Amino acid sequence: MKSFAPVAIAIVVLASLQVLTSGSQYFVYLSLLVGVNVVLAVSLNVINGMTGQFSIGHAGFMAVGAFSSALMSQTLNEYRLGFLPEAVEHQLFFVISLVVGGVLAGGFGFLVGLPSLRLRGDYLAIVTLGFGEIILVVVRNTPTLGGALGLSGTPQHTSFFMVWFTVFIVVLFARRLLASPHGRNLVAIREDEVAAEAMGVDTTSYKVRSFVVSSFFAGVAGGLFSHFQSIITPGDSFSFVKSMEIVVMIVAGGLGSTTGAVVAAVVLTLLPEAMRALFITIGGDNASLAQSIDQLRKPIFGVLLVVMMLTRPQGLFGTHEIWDLLKRKKGAAS
Amino acid sequence: MSEPLLHARKVSIRFGGLKALSEFDLEIHKGDLKGLIGPNGAGKTTAFNVLTGVYLPSEGEIFVGGQKVNGRRPHQINRLGLARTFQNIRLFKQLTVLDNVRIAVLADRTPLFDRPRVEALRRGNGPSRALGSVMDALDNYRDWWRALLRTPAYLREEEGIEQRARELLEVMGLSHRVDELAKNLPYGEQRRLEISRALGTRPRVLLLDEPAAGMNTREKADLMVLIRELRSRFELGILVIEHDMKLVMGICEHLTVLDHGETISRGEPAAVRADPKVIEAYLGEAPAHG
Repeated sequence: MKSFAPVAIAIVVLASLQVLTSGSQYFVYLSLLVGVNVVLAVSLNVINGMTGQFSIGHAGFMAVGAFSSALMSQTLNEYRLGFLPEAVEHQLFFVISLVVGGVLAGGFGFLVGLPSLRLRGDYLAIVTLGFGEIILVVVRNTPTLGGALGLSGTPQHTSFFMVWFTVFIVVLFARRLLASPHGRNLVAIREDEVAAEAMGVDTTSYKVRSFVVSSFFAGVAGGLFSHFQSIITPGDSFSFVKSMEIVVMIVAGGLGSTTGAVVAAVVLTLLPEAMRALFITIGGDNASLAQSIDQLRKPIFGVLLVVMMLTRPQGLFGTHEIWDLLKRKKGAAS
Repeated sequence: MSEPLLHARKVSIRFGGLKALSEFDLEIHKGDLKGLIGPNGAGKTTAFNVLTGVYLPSEGEIFVGGQKVNGRRPHQINRLGLARTFQNIRLFKQLTVLDNVRIAVLADRTPLFDRPRVEALRRGNGPSRALGSVMDALDNYRDWWRALLRTPAYLREEEGIEQRARELLEVMGLSHRVDELAKNLPYGEQRRLEISRALGTRPRVLLLDEPAAGMNTREKADLMVLIRELRSRFELGILVIEHDMKLVMGICEHLTVLDHGETISRGEPAAVRADPKVIEAYLGEAPAHG
């Protein structure tokens, strides 16, 4: 079938990339981080960009997925299905854990989506913020999840292929969703909720469903994340700061633009690393100088964002996709 | 006479101590073209909002297509065949003209379960309500899979939606604007786009809230022709709120006059125009001469 062609191509391309890059551990690690952030950004864009709601608790959903799939994976790891080769079995268990994490996060998305029926804008943002904090407190106080020390011993099953295949799926989903009647209705809610309702759009149901699908993918991203970190702690990786990071990505990329979210997620994840590399070169052999320059990374990052918002408040691509802009450039030139 | 498509019986609405609408009666049958007039603040738009489910009536009953709709949400009422436009244009501004109409055009998709049955279950309580909700959710979530996999049935539906949207835009004379953003349209065309969008939902009754506001004389004349044409072409019942007396008198066959939420007069345009109560409401005291 025609609709499966892109999937087949993606599998081949990603598998060969996996083989090609397997030599460089640093590259693979970075690519996993980037991929997870892309999934998070693209999925949050469904709520904030397409539906026009405002969620700042995305890391909370990621945490649900991360901890539940890690736990699932650790449990499954004790079992063996004799008839499959071990590597295949691991990947099978991994996929199951990811789905479990995603579904659980989606369930929480449903619960958090419910108040969005009544709340708008800032008020909804506060609810999602509260949710993110609640999740962390719960994890911190649950011994099974490792408590404040964090959960370790999760099998390291994440691979370049798995992460980027998920990226591929989430981007494909976002694109096709937006092009479907469902996606058009989401955008209608963003544009004018009263008019959408009057035109027969069940706004409540659509809002809740966009929360569900978005948190499902955040949960999967969390699952991918927990399977390449030797330890996941409720502190830093899933905090409010992480949620804001994702919001910054989609705002910088242009709310509502899937390719914008992808590009911004890639750039904003790699930028600190690139600066680190650059500053180490500048610092040269003088280790203390290199270190002090390194501390400038965060402020410079902040300044870059401020400059970006001042010069392009609609984000990199606005609500458009990258090819829309390329097309327009071409049209203007001719 | 057959059952009215839209029937309001003694509908009142109170906001705190203020009675914004009291004992409002209205019947719209197929082919009717009625007008709702009154001075500013008379409660005309409030009446529209009550009829379309934005406000819950404090008293009285509203029937759409024979079904009582008190307490139903606007989108449910819309699905029963009541569509509206807004006084202050409410288009999806950042979207193209085509998308504006496509959103309104309902997909003629085959639901997984019998819709009326699901609705009936959801109105029940306890287990039947839960079952209804689950069925509804299954039906809704199926959209994702269809969109992701682009099944043949889904693609056929999309084609049908687009075709119908283009047809409507053609009727409304907006074919040349299909790919433009709604916000870039001139005012008169935005009004017409709003009507096309309302028609997309396949209404049986169309409520137009000041469709001629901000139009020049020429555009108003065109609009009068268009409204009549829509009525016969789509077999609609139409209710118009309008300030412009010439337009109302020109096309409406029946008028209801509101003042301070009260219905002060109703009947044929000529009779209404001569009604001293109406003249008083519009001009204050009775005119000094003629």
